[in-house]
Amino acid sequence: MSPAAVTVERLEKTLGKNKVLRGISLEANAGEIFGLLGPNGAGKTTTLRVICTLLAPDAGSVNVLGFDTRSMPEQVRRRVGVVTADIGVYPRLSARENITYFAQLSGVPDRDLKQRVDAVVDRLGITSFANQRADSLSSGQKQKVAIGRAIVHDPEVLMFDEPTSNLDVLASREIREFMVESRGRGRCVIFSTHVLHDAERLCDRVTILHEGSVVATGSTSEVRGAHRDLEDAFLELVL
Amino acid sequence: MIALWIVFRKEIREILRDRRTLIAIGLAALATPLILTVISQLATKTATQIYTVGYSGEIPAGLDVLLTATGLKLERVSDPATAAKQQVDLGVAFQPGQIDEYYDPTRQSAQIADTRLQTVLGRYESAKAAAALQERGIDPGVLHPLPVKVHPLSSPVKAAGNAFLSFFLPYILITMVLTGGLSAALDSSAGERERKTLESLLLTPAPRSRILLGKILAISAISLVSAIAAIGSMLLALTQIALPGAESIGLSPLAAGVMVWLAILLAGTFSSLTLTLGTLAKNFRQGQAYATPLYFITIFPASIILFIPDFNPNLAYYLIPILNAVLILRDAIVHNTVAWPALGVTSASLVAAGLICWYTALRLFTREALLVRS
Repeated sequence: MSPAAVTVERLEKTLGKNKVLRGISLEANAGEIFGLLGPNGAGKTTTLRVICTLLAPDAGSVNVLGFDTRSMPEQVRRRVGVVTADIGVYPRLSARENITYFAQLSGVPDRDLKQRVDAVVDRLGITSFANQRADSLSSGQKQKVAIGRAIVHDPEVLMFDEPTSNLDVLASREIREFMVESRGRGRCVIFSTHVLHDAERLCDRVTILHEGSVVATGSTSEVRGAHRDLEDAFLELVL
Repeated sequence: MIALWIVFRKEIREILRDRRTLIAIGLAALATPLILTVISQLATKTATQIYTVGYSGEIPAGLDVLLTATGLKLERVSDPATAAKQQVDLGVAFQPGQIDEYYDPTRQSAQIADTRLQTVLGRYESAKAAAALQERGIDPGVLHPLPVKVHPLSSPVKAAGNAFLSFFLPYILITMVLTGGLSAALDSSAGERERKTLESLLLTPAPRSRILLGKILAISAISLVSAIAAIGSMLLALTQIALPGAESIGLSPLAAGVMVWLAILLAGTFSSLTLTLGTLAKNFRQGQAYATPLYFITIFPASIILFIPDFNPNLAYYLIPILNAVLILRDAIVHNTVAWPALGVTSASLVAAGLICWYTALRLFTREALLVRS
């Protein structure tokens, strides 16, 4: 069996006076959608931020594709793409310029730049508004641009943090389809959400966090167990 | 270096599409000529303005002609002291062997009328005394036993022009270098946080020091353009607008070179400083609140030239950022000279201030609290 794409071991993190993560461990593999589930404040976003090197672990370790996040953060960042609920794009740049900017900063060589950006624009169906300024785009269109900039350097690990929380039904569906497609391309997809219905439909394996600790982990069917659905299992675990 | 260039180009592109910054630069370039036009017109109006002298008693023969020729209109009043408070600019009571003058020093018109009256009376007295001596067969030259012949070492008109420039130019330079890039600096730091792009930016493998340097360079460039546009328009306006007493105003090549060099240093320092303040702020508005005291702090050193025109400090004073630039620029404009050791200390001081601000911004930029707070 190939080593896990992302390995988190006994991770602890305190923000201010609040101990957010209390020794969590998990593994996410290439070619799967891994669900990071839990109520608001469980520590999902903090875990993702540590994995993508925005925050440093207080204790424990995080390894992404063989690179330790503490000692080789730049190597990790080259291999990770993150999409969050907060759709921040540069309003005075066009959709294409937004994606190109992040491609350049992520080290895509100039000779491949246009081809890579065009491929992302095509893949996400951005062509019709690629040259429009971002401040004139809808939330769904902005989220596509955000995904574009996260994947333009072709990362092997993709992390989605509540990606559909500000989107309408159609845009949410497109995001879900994109996650499935990425799994099909052999990418490791980590999907953080509190919408258990989405997780049940998409995830191969899940970990449930509650108050900074792992309360359940395994394949989706294992965690659901004998319960009617994942939501019932979740409620029994956290209440 | 590539990341620095990528960030620089992106920031410039965004700034050039930002109406706020473009309007600020445009207004700065237009405002200076407009202000100079108003100053010129007011000065010309003051010089040709006719002021009213309310008088009582009998005017000495010939004095009325002199007063009228000097722009003082005579108007008979019953009580010159009362009239001088409101009705006229100056009150004069002509009495045998004496003149009583009444004026309110808080009124500028009264001050100007007083100056004119004193000048006319001085000439009138000299003329009277000369005529009396001549009647007695005495040479009026005895009134001036030591005539003074003045030999100015430089053109008084040019000196007046240089004095004008030595105050306004540092003031405009510092103000425009600060304000020209302020909006861009806050947008590039606090704005980045406010519109939630900061996290994505920090997720790229580009070193944060290079990202920050790219931003600082872009903001410095805009500050420079803004300052040069304002100063250029001012100098252009001065070729078209005549200021009384300072008709010949221009910048020597040495002063222009020193100004550009100082503008570059100040732009780098201010850009680092405003970016640091912007990084501390949660949003653009909070950044503006943080930056407001900068206006006062930076404008104060420029004002020192107005209050102490001959301030000649020792070399240690040139360690004080902004004040040092003002002093160097003043010397370059007024005396057309540069004290190279002072310029060296000034340059080192401004570079050090810029580096401290850059390092502070970098520390803030890499703090976890920056992301957690956002």
